[in-house]
Amino acid sequence: MGINLLKRIGLSIFVLFGLSILIFIISRVVPGDPARLALGPRAPEWAVQKLRQEMHLDKPLYTQYVLWLDGLVHGDLGRSLVTRRSVTTDIKEFLPATLEIVILSAIVLVFGGIFLGIISAKFTNSWLDGLIRVISYLGIVSPAFVWAIIFVLIFGYNIPIFPTMGRLSPGVVPPPMITGMYTVDSLITGNFGTFVDAFKHLVLPAIALAMGGMAQAARITRSSMLDNMGKDYIAAEKAYGIPEGLIFVKYLLKPSLIPTVSVASLDIAALFGNAFLVELIFNYPGFSRYGISAMLNKDLNAIAGVIMVLGVIFVTINIIIDFIVAYLDPRIGLAGR
Amino acid sequence: MPRLRKAVALLLVVGLLVTLVGCGGKGQNAAKQVKSEDSIIRITEDWPVFIDPGVGSKFSDSIALVNTYDTLVFPKPDGSVVPHLATKWDILDNGLTYKFYLRQGVKFHNGDEVTAEDVEFSMNRLLKIGEGFAYLFTRDVAGVKALDKYTVEFQLKKPFGPFLQSLVRLYILNKDEVLAHIEKNGQYGEMGDYGKKWLLTHDAGSGPYKVKEVKMEEYVLWEKFNDYWGGWDPNAPKFFKLSGSVEPITVRTAMGRRELEITDELQPLENYKTMDKIKGVDVATFLNGHNLNLMLNTKKAPTDDVHFRRALAYCIDYNAIITSIYPGSALSKGPVPAVLPGHDPTIPFFKRDLAKAKEELKQSKYYGKLDQYPVSLSWCAEAPEEEKLALLIQANAAELGIKINITKKPFGSMMADAQKLETTPNASLVFVAPHYNEAGSILMSRYHSSSCGTWEQMEWLQDKNIDNMIEDALATVDVKQRFEKYAQVQKALYDLCPTIWLFDQAEKRAYQKDYVYWPTAERALKKEKGCLPMGYDQYVHDMKVYPEKRLALL
Repeated sequence: MGINLLKRIGLSIFVLFGLSILIFIISRVVPGDPARLALGPRAPEWAVQKLRQEMHLDKPLYTQYVLWLDGLVHGDLGRSLVTRRSVTTDIKEFLPATLEIVILSAIVLVFGGIFLGIISAKFTNSWLDGLIRVISYLGIVSPAFVWAIIFVLIFGYNIPIFPTMGRLSPGVVPPPMITGMYTVDSLITGNFGTFVDAFKHLVLPAIALAMGGMAQAARITRSSMLDNMGKDYIAAEKAYGIPEGLIFVKYLLKPSLIPTVSVASLDIAALFGNAFLVELIFNYPGFSRYGISAMLNKDLNAIAGVIMVLGVIFVTINIIIDFIVAYLDPRIGLAGR
Repeated sequence: MPRLRKAVALLLVVGLLVTLVGCGGKGQNAAKQVKSEDSIIRITEDWPVFIDPGVGSKFSDSIALVNTYDTLVFPKPDGSVVPHLATKWDILDNGLTYKFYLRQGVKFHNGDEVTAEDVEFSMNRLLKIGEGFAYLFTRDVAGVKALDKYTVEFQLKKPFGPFLQSLVRLYILNKDEVLAHIEKNGQYGEMGDYGKKWLLTHDAGSGPYKVKEVKMEEYVLWEKFNDYWGGWDPNAPKFFKLSGSVEPITVRTAMGRRELEITDELQPLENYKTMDKIKGVDVATFLNGHNLNLMLNTKKAPTDDVHFRRALAYCIDYNAIITSIYPGSALSKGPVPAVLPGHDPTIPFFKRDLAKAKEELKQSKYYGKLDQYPVSLSWCAEAPEEEKLALLIQANAAELGIKINITKKPFGSMMADAQKLETTPNASLVFVAPHYNEAGSILMSRYHSSSCGTWEQMEWLQDKNIDNMIEDALATVDVKQRFEKYAQVQKALYDLCPTIWLFDQAEKRAYQKDYVYWPTAERALKKEKGCLPMGYDQYVHDMKVYPEKRLALL
């Protein structure tokens, strides 16, 4: 297990290295002068030239890459042209905000999806199964931002019970920075009022983001369970008189979860990308929104920083999921994956 | 099995009810009491918002700056300026020297007194950094000097008639406070970073509102500066917030929940119509001195031919534009928007006249070979309504046999295209705003050769005569004479037709008319003439808010 883990980490470093070259080149060949874009059309040429020098844009591409890589190794991702701060500072501020949504969203996605899938499989062809299937189809066909708009209209406008903007209500003081996730930090510091407020702000964006993945997880869990229900080994276990509950949890559910976990892992990783529009709609100052703003403004350092962090997250989630799948079905193992 | 099914259904219903009750109850009760925080004006604008006078110059920055900092003079809708931090001024040496006498006893937010040294420091800092509104002064200001505690003198390299008008963009910083927060090892020598890092999230101003909190990518919150020298109305807002969300659904929901008082100007027409139907909400429509231009590349075939350009100008259906695509906007009457001081109402302007269009086309050197010379037209991807306009122009031009190839481009790409004559398309749809409220601003930034290669002049006019006329007008200190010279430039530009001036833009903003008094909206209702420079329409000090009326709407 340990050797496999080391192998996967080693391979991941190569993947990230390739990604860094790719994103560095792509971000620099897109038309438009980032220094001019940052300072505006009326800024004098000397000021623009000064910024170009500061960003090393006056140097050859390979020199720019080496300098950027050197900074990356030392934890310095350069300065953002949009926020005018260090990209590292921006990432420290915005990443926890998105992580908070994504974690809650992932919990809703995995547990909600599996729960609905089990119920649907358990009560096949009942009204409950029908209802869950309709919800699942709607979830799959509707992108996250559509759910976000629907939720804002229903729970923000018609039945205004949830906040629809930002991370905290006006007047609520943010908790001291520990992890950067307001819910976690407020719990650590014992500020339950802030926790409730921060949590309320997460509910709608997290559910909107989770809807598609949850629906997919529900569908896959359902069909996988129905598939396994008809297998001979289940019939044999029933014939041996093994309690139904034990068969259900240990022999039916566990193998049925393998495809769900595999697909859900990809969905969870994709949540970071899908979070953009949801963050925009809820005016939530998160990492995904920051990333898109960087791309629209040709904020080179921020683009590279965001993509690298996303790359690390994707790679890490994939490694973790591989281990979970290997645990669920030891026959699969890690070597072949 | 049926028992389990019922239990699951019951669980779902109970869970939903608990969530709804838990989230809703407390907030509804609490909302029925007027709190200090309810005396607030919240405005949405595009992010980022720069509150540093040395950096900011966009719409959102301007709103932030006019509320945080004071200026020597203050603009009026008729284009004139009135004393503000300066109580009076002298114009000496035929417009080469401006001497300002400062108001005494004006306090910065930290309690320090505003002095002439602060004015000198603010101008030098702006010029040295070179960003933000520095471009208004770099060309003409030779130096600035504090003569004594309350007198400051500006020396110009050459006379610049609208200098007073441009001073509405010189925001006065507290020198001592900025110097106390500079980071050494910055790019400005002994001034380090000139306080840029600190001023990203703090202010050093003396304006009516002081910065309370900056949440990057989310909002900036200000609170009333009680010691403001300009005094306060009892109903003036205690707080002011600029939110960085312009998503239509978010904005509309916030208006309905009374969590937003004034919207941004970037909403789709449909959203304004929907918000207009919300009880207590009105949409203020006012001409803001901006106009939409079809910039024609005068150095590229076939738009290098003046008759071809005029033919295009005569074939466009201007009335369809201002009634169907941009309702509320006004017909453009020349290169300068009609609400700007210095606009000449007597010059002719183009109207749809197909007979004249055909006549002009016959005089063009491209007549009879139009199929060989299609016109490339770019429109800005960030302004979706422009697509309809581009299609209308395409259809109108087709009536003359002119083929137009339309391309949608992000503004960044349009800016990149504008840098070289060869990459600039034949026609580009671009909104333009004056930098200060006078015709000279538009004429200089749009038609002087110095702006070629920027998105503000995709015409590549490069006409020595026009350059000289503009420079001469701007160097004229006497207002009447200056305006006469502006009129001559406008006439000359009409003859050259480097641009098709499509319409003068009407800015739309929804606002809570039942509990907010907004002077700009009142002016719009009364159809008063004139306009204010960008950001000054949102000068919160002059607004009033009535929280108890807001509660009645909840």
